[in-house]
Amino acid sequence: MQRNHHLIKGLIVLIATFIAAHAQAVLPIQAIPLSNGTKAYLIQTNAIPMVDIEISIDAGSRYDPKDQSGLASLTAALLTRGIQWQGGFLNEAQQADAIAELGASISASASGERAIVRARSLSKPDIFDPLLQLLVASVSKPIFDASILMREKQRVSAAIQEGDTKPEVVLQKRFRQEVFGNYPLARSPNIESIAAIKEGDLKRFHQNFYRQDRVIVNIVGNVDPARAKQIAEQIITALPAKGPVIPALPSLERSPIEPESKRLIRIPFQTQQTHIAMGMTAITRDNPDYFPLLVGNYVLGGGGFVSRLVGEVRDKRGFAYSVFSYFQPGRDTGTFEAGLQTRNDQADQALNVLQETIARFIEDGPSDAELAAAKANLINGYPLRLDSNRKLLDNLSAITWNQLPLNTLDVWTQQVAAVKKDDVRNAFKRHLDMRRMISVLVGGTP
Amino acid sequence: MIAKFQFSNPILRAIRSALIALAAICLPVSGNAFATQSDTHEYQLKNGLRLIVRQDHRAPTVVHMVWYRAGSMDEVNGKTGVAHVLEHMMFKGTKTVKSGEFSRMVAAVGGRENAFTARDFTGYFQQIEKSKLAEVMRLEADRMANLQFSDEEFGRELQVVMEERRLRTEDNPSSLMRELLMATAFMSSPYRHPIIGWMNDLQNMQPADARQWYRDWYAPNNAVVVVAGDVNPLAVKALVEKYYGPISAKKLPERKPQLEPEQKGEKRAVLKAPAESPQIMMAWKVPKLDPKKMDEVDPYALLVLSAVLSGHDNSRLNRELVRNQRLANSTGASYELISRGPELFVIGATAAKGQTVQDLERGIMKTLGDIANQGVTESELKRIKAQLLASQVYKRDSIFAQAMEIGSSEMANVSWRDLDRIIERIQLIQSDQIQRAINTYFVSDGLTIVTLDPQPRSMLAKPRGMSGSLRH
Repeated sequence: MQRNHHLIKGLIVLIATFIAAHAQAVLPIQAIPLSNGTKAYLIQTNAIPMVDIEISIDAGSRYDPKDQSGLASLTAALLTRGIQWQGGFLNEAQQADAIAELGASISASASGERAIVRARSLSKPDIFDPLLQLLVASVSKPIFDASILMREKQRVSAAIQEGDTKPEVVLQKRFRQEVFGNYPLARSPNIESIAAIKEGDLKRFHQNFYRQDRVIVNIVGNVDPARAKQIAEQIITALPAKGPVIPALPSLERSPIEPESKRLIRIPFQTQQTHIAMGMTAITRDNPDYFPLLVGNYVLGGGGFVSRLVGEVRDKRGFAYSVFSYFQPGRDTGTFEAGLQTRNDQADQALNVLQETIARFIEDGPSDAELAAAKANLINGYPLRLDSNRKLLDNLSAITWNQLPLNTLDVWTQQVAAVKKDDVRNAFKRHLDMRRMISVLVGGTP
Repeated sequence: MIAKFQFSNPILRAIRSALIALAAICLPVSGNAFATQSDTHEYQLKNGLRLIVRQDHRAPTVVHMVWYRAGSMDEVNGKTGVAHVLEHMMFKGTKTVKSGEFSRMVAAVGGRENAFTARDFTGYFQQIEKSKLAEVMRLEADRMANLQFSDEEFGRELQVVMEERRLRTEDNPSSLMRELLMATAFMSSPYRHPIIGWMNDLQNMQPADARQWYRDWYAPNNAVVVVAGDVNPLAVKALVEKYYGPISAKKLPERKPQLEPEQKGEKRAVLKAPAESPQIMMAWKVPKLDPKKMDEVDPYALLVLSAVLSGHDNSRLNRELVRNQRLANSTGASYELISRGPELFVIGATAAKGQTVQDLERGIMKTLGDIANQGVTESELKRIKAQLLASQVYKRDSIFAQAMEIGSSEMANVSWRDLDRIIERIQLIQSDQIQRAINTYFVSDGLTIVTLDPQPRSMLAKPRGMSGSLRH
């Protein structure tokens, strides 16, 4: 499953959209104009009587105040821990029971760029209507109970301490810190930053960030456009129309050229394996080089068992169970990361193979055969990217969050097909550079 | 992807419980919106291979799976992990397909593939656009009969498997705990061995061990093919006859019962491993669903109990241990209704700051005692049933999950035809039946407790002996 995990990361990269590669009608994305001038988005699918809703809020952890890292995540977590309800309130137990009684689910969390609230429900009105009420209240009327906040802070603190004993967590923290530089996502929550978060901070963060001009509503399922409009209106109008001006974030600066001594970081750790991550800043999703990098990375380390990295590190040398590379392009940020885990005594050898394989690929790009194989996989496998409501929602969400054209779907395979060998090579040379790449090693010294 | 992931126990548990939640049902949720039974067809070839086809025409994709009834429970001491090692070797070529070529060909048609090894079975799958089914089936049938790999290739892949074990188990306290729990709870049942195998057995595994495993168990009469998606059953049957039909049946090795002797007293074990918070796992010996006695109530009652304990955010364990009493930071309960081997009902918890594993144990026993004494409420049962019903609709969103449900049940000799009945029976469970199950099975003579005693993971690698002696 570990490899699947990386595969999923790879798919985030690939998530772009869809199109009918096989003359199947593509389900269109419908933009639903709302009364406040914004839009919601719908993919209508009627085969199963269910609905998925996602609310993306521009309230990710990059907006955490410097000394309160973790605020965005805690704010999102408390949306399902008690809400105002019909003049009174539902405590967290009542809220959870009310959702469970409908056989539905509501979840909320914050990632780097955005907070995400998702709901899944049957579409028949006696189930869906009350679920929508609960969803609206969860997003707009959380109570941020002080005692629950204290408990959740304890749990988060314990999780941070537990994470500090895990090599993969230590690795990712340090990697983010190095790659993101001055950008706020370089920081991770710690015991002090969690302790500094008070009830009022959550209320203020929610008030300031969860508002109409920072929210996108995406709907997939057994819903027609008229009903979709009502649903989105209910969610949007429950939030304040606007709020204070949010200071602009610093822009993500390209990873600087550094001497080798500063690009290699070793963290000794009592483990049998050394965990390795290497990478640098890369592109946002709307970059024109997105498709050449997508296709190229399939060849390098994104194409599962057939990638160069798997061939060199795993098949030829038996160095690692999992080895991968991926781009993670967002709306305003983007990174490239490659990694593996290997027995401590061969970590340096494995790092060399990793670096050499990536360097060679940046220099030479793919062969004709590799390029053809990558395009064949991406194009032929296109239908697998949209064969469930869940996947449709993932795609819709990526398109609307990254502000891509709504016809992105219709041209996806064409854009893959159009990628040439030189496009890949030029794009990799333009965006990646071994002199800028940080390598972090966490593990026992051999 | 060819990672050939292994169903380490937690994953398998999660999937098995999901499968139960996903199992088919006929209760009216939304009229005739689904009718999975009539969309499913079963056939058997002359060579003993069984084929189950589920039609789902929502998208032009198909999943093709082959399931072998051979997992880690069929292994013998000294060769543990061989089922999983062979699974890795299945990607190393045949008489006509070079090593790695299988994956390249699946990738070329846009497919996704992987494999999984569990205690009860080993499975392989490809997901493809529907017109590519014949191509992947040809490849899969080929490696059922014609696997061929060199000793050198075996040696390299064995290194990969050992890295997998280091990643998943050696450096992972939760996995080590689960391994210790199974090895402590079971004395003679092969369930006591980890699926991935003991490291020492891996170090001593020979190519001949894997080849023998393949010769013993990889046969059409020990396999079930499941195809789900946008397909026509008769067309699939014709393809299966073409590709799998020519493979000869084999005489399978005798399966010894290897029954676990009755447990006669509580067992306890402690694991010391790098971690922050103490943890506990409590496991009771409980019955599983017997395919010949589908009317027995207890397995269904135990399944509902697991949902009462940890089925949603406000279920008993989370509410009591995490929220009300602040004993734990997290909790969970698991029970597998369907399996080939002996079953455990497991409850786990991670201690909140300042709490001990003794506190957790008391909290868990109190929660069970409350249910045994006062039963569960009507609203709890109502919620579980609502979730179960809704899940019958949600499951249709994933063709893959539908195929997993069919295959894993069949491996334990529970027919896909019975899945509806199982869900119906779960719906009928009442409070007194749960109380009776607790009183019958949650007894200390059948209990195994494993606790995690957290050790600091030093940021500076110290000599092993030194850090040990310094601590005590």
